[in-house]
Amino acid sequence: MLSHCRPEDLDALHRLMSAGGPVLPVAGGTDLLVAGRELPRQAVLVDLSAMPELQGIDTQARDIRIGAATTSAALEASAGLAARFPALVQAASECGSVQIRNRATIAGNIANAAAAADLIPPLLLAGARVEGLLPGGTSHALPLEDYRTGTGLVITAVTLPAGGFEPLSAYVKLGPRRDLTIARLNLAATARLERGWLAGLRIIAGAIGPRPIPLARAAAALEGQALTPDNLRGFLDALSAEVDAAIPGRASQAWKRQAIRGLGIDLLARLLGLSNRDPIFEGVC
Amino acid sequence: MTGARGTDATLRLRVNGAALDVRANPFDRLSHILRNDLQLTGLKEGCCEGECGACTVLMDGRPVASCLVMGFQAEGAEITTVEGIAPPGTLSGLQAALLSLGAVQCGYCTPGIVMAAEGLLRADPAPDHAAIRHALAGNICRCTGFDYIVEAVAAEASRRAALATGPDPVPAC
Repeated sequence: MLSHCRPEDLDALHRLMSAGGPVLPVAGGTDLLVAGRELPRQAVLVDLSAMPELQGIDTQARDIRIGAATTSAALEASAGLAARFPALVQAASECGSVQIRNRATIAGNIANAAAAADLIPPLLLAGARVEGLLPGGTSHALPLEDYRTGTGLVITAVTLPAGGFEPLSAYVKLGPRRDLTIARLNLAATARLERGWLAGLRIIAGAIGPRPIPLARAAAALEGQALTPDNLRGFLDALSAEVDAAIPGRASQAWKRQAIRGLGIDLLARLLGLSNRDPIFEGVC
Repeated sequence: MTGARGTDATLRLRVNGAALDVRANPFDRLSHILRNDLQLTGLKEGCCEGECGACTVLMDGRPVASCLVMGFQAEGAEITTVEGIAPPGTLSGLQAALLSLGAVQCGYCTPGIVMAAEGLLRADPAPDHAAIRHALAGNICRCTGFDYIVEAVAAEASRRAALATGPDPVPAC
């Protein structure tokens, strides 16, 4: 038997989880309800989309705390988040259409675990931690890095620990069309500016493999370097080499090793607040 | 509060300002309930996967794909369909703008576009063309008349701005 409930608060959710039956959380429904996917025959469908305690973004404290049912639209509109970690705001603003962003939630993006998910690369980059309730009602928290689907964890909050990211951050994606596109390649980066150079640069790429991967060698190629044409070219070569190492022999390797060069320029431009047609990128790609 | 799959329950919905008790399957798509149980057939079920935008309604003033909302999830929210933005038998300014600028071709996508644009203009009364295109990216027009649609939304934004500020003051003699 399939039944549903809408817990009013965390206590009610905790009581439900303590009962131990099969629980299927749903929030925006933007992945669960797409055509052709069957709802299970036996479960309690627990709607988290209207629970006030799971909403909201607190950027005032040292750590940024985001309720699990916070929508992409709310992330996109958060001035506090834009000031501290713009990569997540940029990713949220490119997550489907406005109709999707008004329903899709941060925890849903995590739990659905799509290889091309928009929010995951910036969240991993920031060292995000996931909090929730396990079946039986036990509280559990873990780094997003260690999160796996299928554990029954119902996510209640996502935190971005202070110190997990630098003052500059950016997200870019490439898909088959401009808007409402599923990424074939996405990149998130964070860094700080020191004497006009990028320092502490870290980059994560999504939609290359089943999980987003850190691009440590590409980041190292630009770490502490002046943004000269030669150094930029070295950075783009390193990005191509990262694709070669990640998906050797796959059909998409040939175009992704080229495409990541253009996306790498988009990423740097956005990180530095420049146009991707800025003269420093002239002739580099 | 709870219901079983395939078993109708009473859903307490607020649609176009009216509080309604609707007997329906709580797991049904809101788009289906609105069309089949409430005969609000303005919205269309084009793809049932949130891609086409033809089923767009406002949920608490924000555009959503009603095909991706289960009936029970709509309880407690204010739902506005295309039937709810102007008195019966009349057109809203947005609808009139779409018609007069030739932005309606086969018309299938139009109700969804009206609601997505209405949501945009409520949130951003003075959108530029890029903002209009971004807001309508989730609405597919297979007649491909996108330029006229964008112009109509911009025209309606200008009309509303003029209404809000009133007529230009008459110069004193």
